[in-house]
Amino acid sequence: MKRLFILSATLFLLLSLSYCGTARRGVPMFAPLSTENPAVAQGEVVYMEYCQKCHPGGTAGLAPAINNKPLPGFLMRFQIRNGVGIMPAFKENVISDGELDDLVAYLKALKKAKREEG
Amino acid sequence: MKNIYRPLPLLLLLLLSGCFHLLPSDGGGQGDIRTDIRPTDPGDIALPEGYKAEVVATGLTFPTGVAFDAQGQLYVVESGYSYGEVFLEPKLLRVEPNGTVATVATGQRNGPWTGVTFHNGNFFVGEGGELEGGKILRISPEGSITPLVENLPTMGDHHTNGPVIGPDGNLYFGLGTATNSAVVGPDNYDYGWLKRFPDFHDIPCRDIVLKGLNYTSTIPLESKSGVQTTGAYVPYGTPTREGEVIKGSIPCSGAVMRITPEGGQLELVAWGFRNPYGLAFAPNGQLYISENSFDVRGSRPIWGTADYLWKVQPDTWYGWPDFAGGLAMNGDRFEAPDKKAPQVLLAQHPNQPPKPTADLGVHSSSNGLDFSRSNAFGYQGEVFVAQFGDMAPEVGKVLAPVGYKVVRVNVENGVVTDFAANKGKKVAPASKLKTGGLERPVSVKFSPDGQSMYIVDFGVVKMTEKGAEPQVKTGVIWKITKS
Repeated sequence: MKRLFILSATLFLLLSLSYCGTARRGVPMFAPLSTENPAVAQGEVVYMEYCQKCHPGGTAGLAPAINNKPLPGFLMRFQIRNGVGIMPAFKENVISDGELDDLVAYLKALKKAKREEG
Repeated sequence: MKNIYRPLPLLLLLLLSGCFHLLPSDGGGQGDIRTDIRPTDPGDIALPEGYKAEVVATGLTFPTGVAFDAQGQLYVVESGYSYGEVFLEPKLLRVEPNGTVATVATGQRNGPWTGVTFHNGNFFVGEGGELEGGKILRISPEGSITPLVENLPTMGDHHTNGPVIGPDGNLYFGLGTATNSAVVGPDNYDYGWLKRFPDFHDIPCRDIVLKGLNYTSTIPLESKSGVQTTGAYVPYGTPTREGEVIKGSIPCSGAVMRITPEGGQLELVAWGFRNPYGLAFAPNGQLYISENSFDVRGSRPIWGTADYLWKVQPDTWYGWPDFAGGLAMNGDRFEAPDKKAPQVLLAQHPNQPPKPTADLGVHSSSNGLDFSRSNAFGYQGEVFVAQFGDMAPEVGKVLAPVGYKVVRVNVENGVVTDFAANKGKKVAPASKLKTGGLERPVSVKFSPDGQSMYIVDFGVVKMTEKGAEPQVKTGVIWKITKS
């Protein structure tokens, strides 16, 4: 329980701070995102089908930005599978386990995208 | 002490969810918007490395499209009608090399003129039809206007859009629906047209059978005051019953149509769209359209649907009003917060709608589009889409501005990438960022030589509790080239 408290408090703090920076990534603002890794490239396609409409390019739109939320992979998976707030759940019959792996790989790459002026 | 652990997961979940219910809408036209001036500075627009922007013309009033004549001379249409019930005369203008404009033709107050194309010595314009019904007009270089087709059923929320010339030499254009989701209601009264046309409603292209769902509403309409019950595809205040057949007819609502450049018989290409706004043929001759999808308004609000890029297959129904992006409204996926989940209206569906080529941002108002055909510009074979930007809160709430940029789409895999967008910490129109960049891109068009992309920027539209407040003389044409 103490571990949960520490973990939650840390995440709470990180999330509070995370909205200070821009969520924009990639072109035309910054260097293009590398999709050389096949999982990232395939994850981008999955992202476009299920996530892009509410989080265009990972920024806020209908829904909050996701590029500047420091979520670890397991929490990304949990949120995608179970939904939270206004976000619907995407079960295995919609996004397969393999697609989810690719999607998480893409989300991580997107968040870490090098922020150099393009 | 253990009690303090308990709310933490909940707090965490709230943070993860973004607290949608608690946050106010923050659309690009809302709040502190600059309306007194429209400065332009290409340096405020972010582009991929190697591209540059320049200003071609400024001071335009509600421009919506550009075309090039046989000599490569640039022309622009001003819409005439705009959101917010502004009725001006639409115009076809020639843009001189120094950026000044000369009027070629002036239309009637029956806008909006939604697009223009040049073919075999004449201009062809889509006239929206807000007062008299939609038209496709032929305009000679001297300014003589001849309607090729009239009385198109687009006096409602959406208009007659386009046109473009297909590989077969025919004119293709879009007809938007009268309503958001097939049921006439309070939102249509607020938009103004229901006062003018209290019996206007959507028309199916083929016979349909209704489930008989009805909706109640009250609006101060002179002829139909008090509580009214209204079904789908019928006038306001008309209930429907299960099994009722609504006869299809041409012209109809939410369709892509075709005629020859001489006019004549209207042909249905495809239907089941909400507002097929932008049309463009890919280099391989395939037609693609942009669709402005559902809003969270009216008697049947629908939540969270993308704008779509569609590959148009002939004689196919694309899902409106019962599907969004190929998904049926048979659950809570499209349920707006604090509203009822929408149910399907039709007892039978003409076909299983296809999946879209790409999803574009919810409320992005993805409009005019064109394909790059030249390596001189780059991204050959990709389609560029102008995103007008959200009309929140009127169309629904957003947590941040959506659109206000030009994106490119790889039609093979549906990947959407920003191409031209304002610099800054967040996505927003120039009026909100207080910069000289893009405001509301409504159309894109490549020059005949394929080397330049022209962005038609509609100008400033402020959103208030009373609705849209478009600002005259704030429209701009931008030119993007590879340096």
